[in-house]
Parts: sequence; C-alpha cells; structure tokens
Amino acid sequence: MTALPAPPVPWPELLGEALVALEPMEGTSGRIRFRSADAERVFRAVHDAGFHHLTMIGGIDWVDHREVIYTLWSDAGKTYLFLSTDLPADHPTVATATRVWPSANWHEREAWEMVDIQFEGHPDLRHLLMPDGYEFHPLLRSFKLHEPEDLEVKVRHV
Amino acid sequence: MSAAPETKGVRGELPGAGEAAVPFVEIEALRSREFIPAAKEALTSLIAEQGQSKLIRPVFNWAGRNSLFPLHWGLACCAIEFAAAFGARWDAERFGVVPRSSPRQCDLMIVNGTVTWKVAHKLITLYEQMPEPKWVIAMGNCATGGGPFRTAYSVVPGVDKLVPVDVYIAGCPPRPEAMLEGILRLEDLIRLRKE
Repeated sequence: MTALPAPPVPWPELLGEALVALEPMEGTSGRIRFRSADAERVFRAVHDAGFHHLTMIGGIDWVDHREVIYTLWSDAGKTYLFLSTDLPADHPTVATATRVWPSANWHEREAWEMVDIQFEGHPDLRHLLMPDGYEFHPLLRSFKLHEPEDLEVKVRHV
Repeated sequence: MSAAPETKGVRGELPGAGEAAVPFVEIEALRSREFIPAAKEALTSLIAEQGQSKLIRPVFNWAGRNSLFPLHWGLACCAIEFAAAFGARWDAERFGVVPRSSPRQCDLMIVNGTVTWKVAHKLITLYEQMPEPKWVIAMGNCATGGGPFRTAYSVVPGVDKLVPVDVYIAGCPPRPEAMLEGILRLEDLIRLRKE
C-alpha cells in the first residue's frame, strides 16, 4: 500500500512577505524564491514544516547577480524542496543556515570559497577545498584561467 | 680401579685434556681481544691506502640502489598501476623495490598522480621526513607537468615545483613496465653518482 501524498504546505501563509515566488517543479514540492533579508525566518519555517535534512547548498554567479540554492528533503513527506534567493553582485550576503541545519557548515564554506558568497553568522568561514591563503574565488565568471606560474606565486607562502 | 689408567692415557693425547676448562665467555673475550685490533689495523691501513670513499661508498651505493624502498602512498589512477607493478605479474620486488608505509623507512618517493595545492605542503612534509639520501620519481603526466589539469586553478603544474625530481615517467597512466623502467633508470643514475 503506497503512502498517500502529503497535503500541500500553505507556504504563502507561513512565509508572508518573505515569499517572492513559488514555482512548481515536477516530482518535488517546488521551488521557493524568498527575500534574502528574511532568510533566517524562512529557514525556521521550512524546517518546522518537516524539511529536516539539508542535502546541499549551491551558489551560482549570474554576472549581474548571484543566487544561492538550498536543496531540502522531508522524511515525513518523502519529497524534495528547493529554496533560492537572489543576492546583489556587489554585496552577496545572506544569513547562515547553520543555526537551523548544522550540516550547512561545509556547504557554505564551499559556496563562499567558489563564488564568494558571504554567510553572516557562520561559525567558521574558511577554505574547504583550497589551501589557506588562496586568494581567488575560482568559479566566478570573472575568474580567468591563469598561467600556472601566477597561481604558484599566490599560494607559495602556504 | 684397574681400568682408570688406560682411559687416562687416551685422554692425555687430546689437546688441553689435562688443563682446567675455560668458560665460553672468556674464549669469546680472548678472541675479540685478538681479532678486533687486527681487523682495525687492516682496515685503517686499507683506508689510508685507498681513501674511505673508494672503499666504503661503493658498497653503500650498491646496497642502496638495489633496495630502493618507495613510499607507499597513492594520489590518483597512477597509483593503480603502481600497485599492479607489485603484483604477481610484474613483481617489482625482484628489483629490491618494496613499498614502505612510513616515510622514515623510505629512500624513494614515487609521486603517482595529480598534486593539488591543498596537498602540496603535505607532500613536502613527507619528503622532508625521508632520510638522506633520497630520490623522487614523477610518475605520469600529472606529476610531470600537471597533465590535462595544468591550467586548472587547484593543480600544481608539475611536482618539480615542490621537490627535486630525478626521473620523469611519461604516460597517462604509465604501464607497470614503464614504472619498472623508470626505477632501473634511477638505479643507473645512482650508480653514476659522485659523492
């Protein structure tokens, strides 16, 4: 006997003004675009709605702005949910999700390292994949392929 | 009573039969008192004659180059070929090559794989933990010059940026025969080594 589909969560009532758009995606609970200023409140509300597992955090550089995507899984509803928020390119700052999902720690370190997104309130925002002292954010569109010797000089003091 | 003189006569022909027994430890001490000064004298005269380097260094050179112990660590797919070379088919141990797990027991570092900047200073630490004299083989294109990842933001373009390399082995990955050939070339290099 298959489980009945979970009743839809009333996101507009839960999130209020923080909700920018609600986009359906086939096979999932859809994608919620939210205002980055209310990130902390959105995380709490989504967590309380049953999405206890944070699968990943990704950062995207759209040149004119940046985007952070959160993928969440609900064990009770057996469904995925995507959160996304747009950040201005000159000040890409969003509140950390580590207070709600502790597993966000390394994902946010990676997103900061690769596309330079600042997570306010992160307990330990340092390099994850690159050595300490690395001066680039290599997945930014503005990052050019360097001659290997240039990179060598930049990280030689490690 | 009558049989005793006969046996005594037989015993008297054996050397040292009538003397008190000497303990084994004293025999050894006596031997070393005589042997060690004689050996020392012979050795010092030889060294004075030929020079220390001519006498002893070739022995160490011969012993060292025929028992190269590589460090047992793998970075990427070249490590699979490295492991295969120690299997039954290629059997690198017939050249005295035995991988050791501690850098303090090694005199050869085979860098088999892509070296990233993150692992670079660990590699230098391992190299510095190895006792002198020591050699490095860059195995495969990645260790030689970065390979296909040369322009990547995270890859060291050749391990010779970090440690001095003696032998480069081309290939992606090199076959175990190529690795054995590299080791034999390194043995040739060691044979030609001037102290």
